[in-house]
Order: sequence, then structure tokens, then C-alpha cells
Amino acid sequence: MLAVSPVGCSGLEERAAATGIGMETEAIGAVSSDLVDFDFTVDDIDFGDFFLRLEDDGDALPDLEVDPSDIFTEFEEIAAGGNNGVTDQEVPTSVNRPASPPDVDPCSGVLTAEENAAVVAFVDVEEGKGESNQQHADEAAAAANNGDFAAVMIAAEEKSTSSTTSSSQEAESRHKSSGKSSHGKKKAKVDWTPELHRRFVQAVEQLGIDKAVPSRILEIMGIDSLTRHNIASHLQKYRSHRKHMLAREAEAASWTQRRQMYATGSGAAAVKRPDANAWTVPTIGFPPPPPPPAPPSHPMQHFGRPLHVWGHPTPTVDSPRVPMWPRHLVPRTPAPPWAPPPPADPAAFWHHHPYMRGPGHMPTQVIAMPMPAARFPAPPVRGVLPPCPAPMYRPLVPPTFANKDQQDTQLQLHTQPSSESIDAAIGDVLTKPWLPLPLGLKPPSVDSVMGELQRQGVANVPPAC
Amino acid sequence: MGDASSASYIRMVHHLIEKCICFNLNKEECMDALEKHANINPVITSTVWKELEKENKEFFETYNKDRVDRNIEEETMQRIQKMLSDAAASKTDDDEEEG
Repeated sequence: MLAVSPVGCSGLEERAAATGIGMETEAIGAVSSDLVDFDFTVDDIDFGDFFLRLEDDGDALPDLEVDPSDIFTEFEEIAAGGNNGVTDQEVPTSVNRPASPPDVDPCSGVLTAEENAAVVAFVDVEEGKGESNQQHADEAAAAANNGDFAAVMIAAEEKSTSSTTSSSQEAESRHKSSGKSSHGKKKAKVDWTPELHRRFVQAVEQLGIDKAVPSRILEIMGIDSLTRHNIASHLQKYRSHRKHMLAREAEAASWTQRRQMYATGSGAAAVKRPDANAWTVPTIGFPPPPPPPAPPSHPMQHFGRPLHVWGHPTPTVDSPRVPMWPRHLVPRTPAPPWAPPPPADPAAFWHHHPYMRGPGHMPTQVIAMPMPAARFPAPPVRGVLPPCPAPMYRPLVPPTFANKDQQDTQLQLHTQPSSESIDAAIGDVLTKPWLPLPLGLKPPSVDSVMGELQRQGVANVPPAC
Repeated sequence: MGDASSASYIRMVHHLIEKCICFNLNKEECMDALEKHANINPVITSTVWKELEKENKEFFETYNKDRVDRNIEEETMQRIQKMLSDAAASKTDDDEEEG
């Protein structure tokens, strides 16, 4: 049972059982040996894909309300660094511990007790028993600090007794689930399924994004297995995601405007770009890639991918994502789910599929959609290509250039393509390489194409005409 | 060597393929068209197409589905037209006979 179960700790086990927080003890045992085992990593939390990929794990998010982590930190320090101190404390305590103090080390019994208090405190915190909790936590902390082991245990016991009735079940189930990897920071691992997230979003919207407070959200959602802390951190991520979406949208909108401006204004001022920029879609009349589009840190991992709106299940699996058309920003994306990073940075500007890149791992839970849909009212796509599902997100920046050819071409969509028109279109591309790509599909990786060609025995060099 | 030129060549082919997609061509048709009008080795076209498909799976899935739908639609339309013309033809015959 106890993760820590050296012979000498049997007494402790009894004690733990007695206090009714056996579960926690187990967790604690694990904790003490596993201080760096976070309940969830960014990778686990699928929504990491969508937005800011926090360098540190989710645990680092500052709590919105109570700060149980502070409580824990305190205990952890004591626990981690306090073996020595503990030993001292241990000695006198013979109160309930037939176990011998020297076992402190392997047993970490003392730690366990303190952490018991911490756990209990935490549990209560999660349940929102703010104040009384604090008191107990403080008491426990104080007790621990003072080396009064007995006091700590008592405080813990009180706590647990008082919380036993209603919360013990919850606490236990919570801890059960987070048992194995729980940490001082008791963050039960929450699986933010699309459904769960949807409810979350509903609750938030109901309250108003600014007024959405974790405890209220929790009430509205009415899901027992969620702790306020879970909600708090999820909310934080959600808010940050929204901000980015908004920022992106704003940028996208401004880009679109600029583009139109330039396109109509300087139609022919085709910027002939040197080959090196071949990948960067040199667009007509576009000024050199705008200053690193602000969303540098793009977390926009969402960009690109069909702007996955945070919170909705992805329509498909893994890579398949709606092609991005955007030509907008998005400088570079850290870890695009799809593919290798854009060929060039500035280029990335155009073909950015931020979202697209990244660890192929599409968050199963994820999210997608809705929000952005609202946000990015895709600008009318010229000659919408039937297949282009394009949805919502993409701040579609389809070829809005007043390009007559394109218009004509687009009109062909519904008729049987005639050879002449195809020929004309092709000729167009050949003679005017600077034209923007009509669809803006994510370009294939040069290396893989070359590799493939080699396998087929073809030399790439443009075949002599 | 010639990396830049390879890259730009590939980009060109990519662009051409996109144009073909605008015409609703499938891979084979595209290969033919590019070879005929732009002298591009169909193998290259095919490779770039496949890579594009890999990178833009969702798009191509939809695209292909739409093509299929459109083909079905076309076929149906043609059948209807045929039926209509057959009916018109036989009606005329009847008329003639009767008349």
C-alpha cells in the first residue's frame, strides 16, 4: 500500500489508516520519492498544442485564487530538506509511533505525516474550504516548523475528520486517480476531453470571460472530479489562448487590409524576389515580409492548423488539417504538429502553418474549432474552391488580388476544364513565378521530394525543354 | 547543389499543381497537363503531388471526395440528359407515326 513501506513504518501505516487518509498516505509516499514527477506534462495536456506551449509544466501556472502550491512548497521544503530536522523532531515523538525514528530516511515517515497534513490541507483547498483550510494548513505548517510532530498529526487528523464526511470520498477518489504520481502539488490529472472542455467553455461564457471565476465555473459545471485548481489552471490557459487568437485575428485582419491595399495599389509592382526567396511567397506588391509579425512567440501553434479553436475536438486525426491558406503571419511555430518548420522564416511568413507543424500528436482531446470560427470570419475567398473547407479559421487570405486571371481561372471551377484554359493558366504560372499560390497549400518539404525523386531515378534539374 | 534551384523548381511545380486543382484535375490529369503544357516530367509532378497530399491531408481528402461527388453528379446529369433525349426522340417517333 504505502509506497514507502520499510519495516519500521508499520506504525505509521496504522496511524494513517486511523486518520482515515490512507489514500493520501500512499500518495504521499510516492510523493516523497518522486518530487519531480508532475501530474501532467504539457504533452499530456493536449491543449498544449493549441497554444502557448509552456516551457515549464502546468504546475507552474500561478494559481488564480488560493495558492495551495505555496502550502506544499512549504511542506516540501520541510520534507525534502528537513530530514535532518525531522530526525530531531522524530526522536521525541513517541506518541503514536512505535516505529523508530531512525527509519526516517527510508521511511520518510515523518515526511509522510507532514505531507499528510499538506495533502489534507490541499484537499480542502481544492474543495474550497478556503479559510478553515488555511488555518489548518497554517497550523500544520507551524507545527511542522516547530518540529512538533504530534501537533502536525493532530492537525492533520482534525482536518481529516472534519473533512471526512463529505470530502473524504472526493478526496480519495481524486487522490486515487492522482495517486501514483501525485506530488506535493496534488494536481489531480484532469483529462480535458472535448466534452469536458465544451462544458467548461459554456460555463465561462455563461459567466462572462472576465467574470469567470474558477469556483463559479466549478459550480456551473457541477463535475465532482474537478478541483477548483484544475479549473483555475485550465482557465488560465484558455484565457491566454483566447488572447492569442484575438491577437492573431487582429493581425490577420490588418494583413488582409494591407494586402488588398498593396495588391490593388501596385498590381504590377511585382516584387521579383531572388530565388532564395522562392519559398517565400513573394506576393505581388508586398513589402518585404512585415516585421516579424508580432506573434512571434507564436504560440500560435494554433495558427495554421485550422486554427484550432481551443476546445473542440479535432475533426480529424493527426495531421490532416485543413489546409492553411493564410498567408499570414505566423512566423514560426515552435512545434508544428504537422511538419517540419517552414523553409525560411520570412517565408514562413507566408506559408505559415504554424499549427501545422508540430509533434504529430494531435491531441486526442482536443480541441478545435468553434471559437475561431467566430473569430475569423474568413474573408470571402475568391472563387472559393469547392474542396476548400476552409473553414473557419483561416483568416483566409485567399488571393484577393485583383488578379483578373485568377478570377477567370476560378470561374472555370464548375465547368469541364478546357485544355486551352489549363494551358493558359499554366503558362501564366510559368511566366510569372512571383504570383502567389492560388491555394496556399502547405508546401512539401524539398528534401523529401528530392529524396523521393532520387528513389525514382530522376534528377531534379529542370528538364531541358 | 542547385538546392535553391531545386527548391524553386519544386515550388513552381507546386504552384502549377495548385492551379490544376483549381481546375479540379486529379493527379493523373495534372501530370498530363503539366507535361503537355509545361514540359514537366510527370514523375516529378506525381512526386510533388504526393508530398503535397501528405502535407495537406485534410485538404486532399476533401478534394478527392468532392471530385468523386462531382463525378457522380456529372454522371447522373448525363444519364438524365440521355434519358430526356431518348424520351424526346421516342416521342417524336410516336408523333410521326401517329401523325
